Amino acid sequence: MISVTFILNGHKTSVDVPDHELLLETLRERLGLCGTKPGCLEGECGACTVLLDGKNILSCLKLTADVEGAAVTTIEGIAEKGTLHPIQQSFIDEGAVQCGYCTPGMVLAAKALLDEKARPTDEEIQRGLDGNLCRCTGYIKIIEAVRAAAHKKEP
Amino acid sequence: MNLENRKTTSPVGKAVPRIDARPKVTGEAMYVYDMRLPGMLVGKMLRSPHAHAKIVALDTSKAEKLAGVKAVVTAADTPKIKFGSNEYFFPYTVDQLPLEDEKVRYIGDEIAAVAAVDEATAEKALSLIEVQYEVLPAVFDPVAAMKPGAPAIHDKMNNIGVMLPVQYGDADTALKESDYVREDVFILPSAAHCSLEPHVAIGQVETATGRITLWTSTQAPFKVREALAKTLQMEQADIRVIKLNVGGGFGGKLEMLPMDFAACLLSKKAGGLPVKIACSRQEEFCFTRRKHPMIYKLKSGVKSDGTLMAITGEVIADGGAYCSYGPTLIAASIMRIFMVYKIRNFRVFGFRVYTNNPICGAIRGFGGVQSGFAVESHMDMLARGIGMDPVAFRLKNATDPDTVTVNKLVLSTNGLKECIRRAAEASRWQEKYGQGAKSDGDVVRGIGIGVAADVMGSKMYKAHESAGTIIKVEEDASVYVFTGAADIGQGSDTALAQIAAQELGVAYERIRIKAADTESTPFDTGSFASRVTFISGNATKNAAADVKRQILEVVARELKLDQAGLDIRDEEVVRRSDKSVVMSFDKAVGLCYSFDYGHLLIGRGSYNPTTTPIDFRTGEGNISGSYGFEAQIAEVEVDKKTGRVKVLKVTDVHDIGCPINPQSVHGQIEGSILMGVGYTFHENLRLDEGKVLNPSFAKYRIPRSTDKVDIASIFVETKDPQGPFGAKGMGEASLLPTAAALANAIHDAIGVQIKELPITPEKILAALKAQK
Repeated sequence: MISVTFILNGHKTSVDVPDHELLLETLRERLGLCGTKPGCLEGECGACTVLLDGKNILSCLKLTADVEGAAVTTIEGIAEKGTLHPIQQSFIDEGAVQCGYCTPGMVLAAKALLDEKARPTDEEIQRGLDGNLCRCTGYIKIIEAVRAAAHKKEP
Repeated sequence: MNLENRKTTSPVGKAVPRIDARPKVTGEAMYVYDMRLPGMLVGKMLRSPHAHAKIVALDTSKAEKLAGVKAVVTAADTPKIKFGSNEYFFPYTVDQLPLEDEKVRYIGDEIAAVAAVDEATAEKALSLIEVQYEVLPAVFDPVAAMKPGAPAIHDKMNNIGVMLPVQYGDADTALKESDYVREDVFILPSAAHCSLEPHVAIGQVETATGRITLWTSTQAPFKVREALAKTLQMEQADIRVIKLNVGGGFGGKLEMLPMDFAACLLSKKAGGLPVKIACSRQEEFCFTRRKHPMIYKLKSGVKSDGTLMAITGEVIADGGAYCSYGPTLIAASIMRIFMVYKIRNFRVFGFRVYTNNPICGAIRGFGGVQSGFAVESHMDMLARGIGMDPVAFRLKNATDPDTVTVNKLVLSTNGLKECIRRAAEASRWQEKYGQGAKSDGDVVRGIGIGVAADVMGSKMYKAHESAGTIIKVEEDASVYVFTGAADIGQGSDTALAQIAAQELGVAYERIRIKAADTESTPFDTGSFASRVTFISGNATKNAAADVKRQILEVVARELKLDQAGLDIRDEEVVRRSDKSVVMSFDKAVGLCYSFDYGHLLIGRGSYNPTTTPIDFRTGEGNISGSYGFEAQIAEVEVDKKTGRVKVLKVTDVHDIGCPINPQSVHGQIEGSILMGVGYTFHENLRLDEGKVLNPSFAKYRIPRSTDKVDIASIFVETKDPQGPFGAKGMGEASLLPTAAALANAIHDAIGVQIKELPITPEKILAALKAQK
C-alpha cells in the first residue's frame, strides 16, 4: 500500500492504494467517480480519459501512485456551481451525445485541446479527439460541439 | 411544476435536447458497468479453449475450496434447457445451453462460472477447474461444413441450421429472355459491434422469495427475461430485468448471454450476494456475438432498356457454433431485395451454416449490410453492362408506393424514387458520373450510388409484436411515461417523450421517462429492426391520447361543454373551433384531482402492427407495418499509385416519414454511414481455426475522429399514415448501401470493381494490375 495525495477536481485528496492500482480504479471504486469509463483497459478507446495537470491522459494506463502532487480533473469536476462547462453544454446543444459512454472522455479531451488552443481548426479538433473512440455518432456532431464551444469563449 | 422549464410545446419535429444528455455530459448517468451493490462478488466465465470437443470430465472441487470463492456453477447446477432467439417461429433453432454439458462447439463456449470476493480470486478459481476434453475434428469454413462427411456440430443435415428458399415466377426463362446476364460472387467478412460499454450483468437472488433481479446492458430486457425464465425453469414473474443506460448495442446486446444466466445462478448459490460479470474488451470481441461472414452469389438478367428480368443466387452465411438469430439473419439478407426492386422472377436460396467459429448474431442491419454490398454492387454492374446510367437504372426498377410485392410485402408510403432523384440532384450526379475514365492522372475522383430499404419491426420473434406505454399525470401536473422500450443510445426515450408531449398537448420538459424495467414498465420486444419509434411510438401516442381524453372528459363535465369540441394544445385546454383557451393544463389536471372528481389520471396505450410472419418455405410474408427507404451517393478520390481511397462526401436521402427529432435522426444517419465506411475499408474480425486474431481496438480498427466523412443528410417526408405523426423507423437503413456506394464510386474512378470487403489498398492495386 502507498499513500498518495493529489488535487482531485480542485480538492486535496489522500488515498491509500496498492502500488499497482490504476488511477481509473481509484477514481471509480475508491472515490465513487464513475463518470470515468472503462472501455478497454488497454489504452486504446479513450473512454477513461482524465486531465492530469491539464493534459488529457488515459487513467487505465496511469498508476495512482504516479499522480502524487498532481492535479487530476475528471468529468465530475468541470461544471462550476451547477453551470455546465461550455463544452458540456455544446455537446447537449449540438446533439453530440448518443449512448454517452464515450462522452466524459470526449469532453475532457476537448477541454485539454481548447485549453491549449482556443480556436482550433476542424482538422485540429479531429486530431485532438483521435484517441477517443465513438461508435454511435460518426463524430460529426462531436466535432461541431467542440467548434461551437470554442466560439462561445473569448479568443 | 417549475414554469420556467416549460419551453418546448408541440415538440415533434423539433431538435429538442435529448432527455438523457445532461446526466451523460456530467458523468452522472449510471450504466450497469458503474453499479456496485453491498457484498457484490466478481463473476467469471470458464470457456472452452477448443473449437470442438467432448467434455469428458469436469472437476470444480479445487476451485470451490479456494478461499474467497463463494460459488461455482456448471451444467450440473442447471436444468439443462436450451435457448434460442427465434424460438417462437423456429423451435428447431433452439440449440444453446447456458452452460454446456457434453460438448463444446467453439473457442469460448461457456462450461462453468465462478463468483469470488475479487477478480484475482475469481481468475485463480477458473484456473483450478479441471476439465478433461476429447478434442473432435472441427470445421471452420461454411462451404466445407455443408459437405457430406464434415464434422457434425449439431444434429443437423450438412450442418445447415437454417435454410430459406425464395422462389417466384420463372427465373430461368426470364434469364433466357434477358439481353444481358451476369454472375458475380461477393465475399463479406465478419465484423464486431464495438459498443464502447462491454457486456455486463449483475444478478441478485432474493433468498426469501427466490426471485431474481438482473441488471444487464441489454437492448431487449423482456427477451432476456423470457430466456432466463426458460433456462432457469422459473416463472417470468419471478424475474426482474432492468436496463440502465446502455453504452451502445448495435445488435450485440439483443440476446440473453450465458453470463446473464450465470450471474443469477451464482448469486443463488452464493446465498443471495449480488454477482457482477463484466466482459473485458477481449472477451467482447471473442465471445459475445459478431457479424455473419457471407458468400453472396448473384446471377441476374436485364433487358437492354434496363428492365430487371430476374434475380437468382445463393447466400451462404457462416453462423458459427449456435443459431442465435439465424432465421432473422437469413431472411433479412434476402427479403430486402423485394422492398427495393420490382422483380417477379426470383430464385435465391439462403443457407445459414454451423461452423466451429464464434457465434454470429444480430448486428445493425442484420444481413442487410452484407446483401446491400452484394446486391447494390451487382446492380451497378448490370446497369453498366447495358450502358445505362446507374441512377436511371435504379429509377426504372425501384418499387413504387401503394404496391404489394410478389412475396406479399405491403409497401404503402414509399419515397424510394424521390430519394434517388434528390440524391442525384444534391450530389450533382449528372455532371460528375463517368468523369473518372476521362482522367489520366494518378489521383482520380469517382461517384457511386447504392439504395436500400428497411423494416420497422419484424415479425420474427413472437406471436405479437406489441409495445405498451402507461402515462400517469400526477396532481402537480407532472407527466411520467412508462415504456418497455430500451434506449441504448439511439435516443428513443427522447423521441417517446416528444411523442407523448405532442399528443398530450404539453411541453416536452414536463415529461419524465421510466423505461425498460420488466417489473414496472409495459412489455416491449426491444430495440431492434428499427422498430421503437414506429411501434413503441404509436403505443406512447395512444397512451397520451387516452390520458388526454380523461382530462377533457372532466373539463367538459365541469364546464358543461361538448368534450369533442375540446383539445389540449401548448399547455392549454382549448376549443377546437377557434383555439380559444378554456383553462391551463395545470388547472385542468387540478380539476381532475379536485374534491368533486378525484380522478386519478392514468393513460394506457399499446400498438401491434399489422404484419404476417415469413413463410420459410417460400419467403412470403409482410413482416413490417411499414417500410423505410433511402438512396446514398458516395464520392471518393482514389490514388492509383498507392491504392488509397479518400471519401470526399456521402449524400444520404432518407424516407423517414417524419423526423420526430431531426437532430437525432441526422445523428443516427451519420453514425450509420461512418460505421459503413469502417466496414468498407477496415473492419474484418479475422479468425484462424476458430480463434479471433484481432480482439482489440489496436488490431481491429474502427473509424476514429480523423476518419470523419462529410455527410449531407436529407429527409424525404412521406408522412406514413401508420407511423406516429407520420414517422418511420430509421436506425439501420443508412448503413445498408454505404459499402456498395463506395465500391461503385471506386469503379467510377478507376474502372475496377472490388467484390470482397474490406476494400484495402492491396486489393485495389491488385485489381488495377489485373486490369492492365
